[in-house]
Amino acid sequence: MSAVRVNIGGWVTERLGLDRLRAKYLGKPFPVHSTFFLGEIALFCFVVLVGTGMYLALFYEPSAASITGGAGPMPLAYASIVAIDATPFGALVRRMHHWAAQLMIASIVLHLMRIYFTASYKKPRELNWILGLVLLGATIGASFAGYLLPYDQFSVTATAIGYGIARSVPWVGPALADYGFAGAFPSPSSVPRFFAYHVVWAPLALSGLIALHLVILLKQKHTEPAAARAVRAPADAHLIEGVPLWPQQASLMAVLMLVVIAVTAVLSAFLPVHPSAFYGPPQPITPEVKPDWYLLWVYGALRLIPGGLSFRFLGATIGSEAIGAMLVPGILALVIVLVPWLDRGKSSLYFAESPTASPRRLAFGLAVVTLFLALSLAGFGAELGLSVPVLWVITLAAPLLVWWGSYLLSGGRRGAGA
Amino acid sequence: MDRRRFADWSLKVGIGAAIASAIPGVLTLRGKARSAATDAVAPGDRLVFALGQNAGQPVTRGSFSQNEAVLAYPEGKSDNHENLVLVAKLDPAELGPPLVRVEGADGVVAYSAICTHLGCTVRFSEEPMDAAPFPHIHCPCHSALFDPRHGGLVLGGPAPRPLPQLPVRLNDKGEVVVTAGFTSTVGVKA
Repeated sequence: MSAVRVNIGGWVTERLGLDRLRAKYLGKPFPVHSTFFLGEIALFCFVVLVGTGMYLALFYEPSAASITGGAGPMPLAYASIVAIDATPFGALVRRMHHWAAQLMIASIVLHLMRIYFTASYKKPRELNWILGLVLLGATIGASFAGYLLPYDQFSVTATAIGYGIARSVPWVGPALADYGFAGAFPSPSSVPRFFAYHVVWAPLALSGLIALHLVILLKQKHTEPAAARAVRAPADAHLIEGVPLWPQQASLMAVLMLVVIAVTAVLSAFLPVHPSAFYGPPQPITPEVKPDWYLLWVYGALRLIPGGLSFRFLGATIGSEAIGAMLVPGILALVIVLVPWLDRGKSSLYFAESPTASPRRLAFGLAVVTLFLALSLAGFGAELGLSVPVLWVITLAAPLLVWWGSYLLSGGRRGAGA
Repeated sequence: MDRRRFADWSLKVGIGAAIASAIPGVLTLRGKARSAATDAVAPGDRLVFALGQNAGQPVTRGSFSQNEAVLAYPEGKSDNHENLVLVAKLDPAELGPPLVRVEGADGVVAYSAICTHLGCTVRFSEEPMDAAPFPHIHCPCHSALFDPRHGGLVLGGPAPRPLPQLPVRLNDKGEVVVTAGFTSTVGVKA
């Protein structure tokens, strides 16, 4: 009697027609460059966030109801966070969740800069440029919703400022703030609301947007490194050179994902982030806090705009808080969204460009980066002993100087580009 | 009406009805109104400590010395965050307009503790700053500065309007009692 051989893989393959799928996609070429991994790092951070978040949600209690803990009355949400920190590896998982969020935003920003400086936003990739910016916004929104959940002193302060910003929006502010924050903040109903945002709405939206981002990438094909153009015959420009999805690209991705998990774990093991027990349960007083690094520029803008600055527009008063938190970030965001249409340079369908190929693009990009850094610096004016007028000068002069310097240095005067 | 048009209209009416039926659910998202009239501060309310071991106890003449301040709520109305006030004792000779002077206040003044910029809790200055003479009120969030001697006027920083004043006086037991409502809207004004 011969042994019965069970071929499960073959059985599934036959029924789902996987052969055709493999033939079509497993050999798909992935152009390789070290900067092409930034978006993947963001994706793997999201995976870490979902994994750690699913674990934390098993213990977290989304309620601001007061309970009597060991150290007096405290909100249930805060007490559950302190309890998570006290369980084996609980604090580590919570820190990993925080660190992965920081790293996700950082890698999205670097990814965005890579796309910009290599002009990979050009036609036909405008859609994914905008989608990527929406993803950045949604990620920051998801982080902001998560700020409140520990319901400690820091959380409530940060969210209260968010509520104030929402209220300052012209025309619809109060309604917008009350709809978004479930009534006047702080109120107990804000906790289940933000829990839902953070745990259901944001991850679903992010998953969908990420999927769309990747499908569009798949459809439009990835750009090749600028260097590839020099060694390719013009007739072969449309061919894509890269490693196949299986097994090379898949192995690279697997290694990268493990590295992301390892880095997050090591950071979390040694560097505390958001120590809720240190901040303590919410109190009526406001502590001296600064926002996370990715919102420092808004914070800096809010400190720079003097209270006397306001104007009336279509029946609404646009005050200093709306200028600092809405108008300035709104204009900056709009300029970045419109980049594919502001750049009149010829589009390169297959190749990324060298950052120095267009002095105008390089200078503009560096100037915008400098503006963000200068506004962030303004958030540290008191610590650095810089007065508001000095910070204004830095904020206005530094981007212009950087623009001028990089334009000249990259050959802008010789009319070499864009 | 032919079958195709009937199907078309059925679909449109169905979608419209579905959207219309969602409106009450969406309106519910707004939550509670900003401040309920029942727990708004009212004349005659005593101010009680908001924090510390004396929380809930009346703030009195002896609670602070000159150029000191405490956070307080109108008694029994601490659930309404907008009722949080900063009560300070200042030199009566230094006070000036547009401060609302109350007979028998003896240099005690009260302001909304909610910053008019973005709603953080303001602090009474602990030390002099370059930008503002002592005493002043400052906000730890974005460095708004207010003048407690002159009706909470903006001395510097990003606050768009003065801190609302809460007129108070001392009663015969030396307790701080509210004599009128806030002089302007509390918190961030749209």
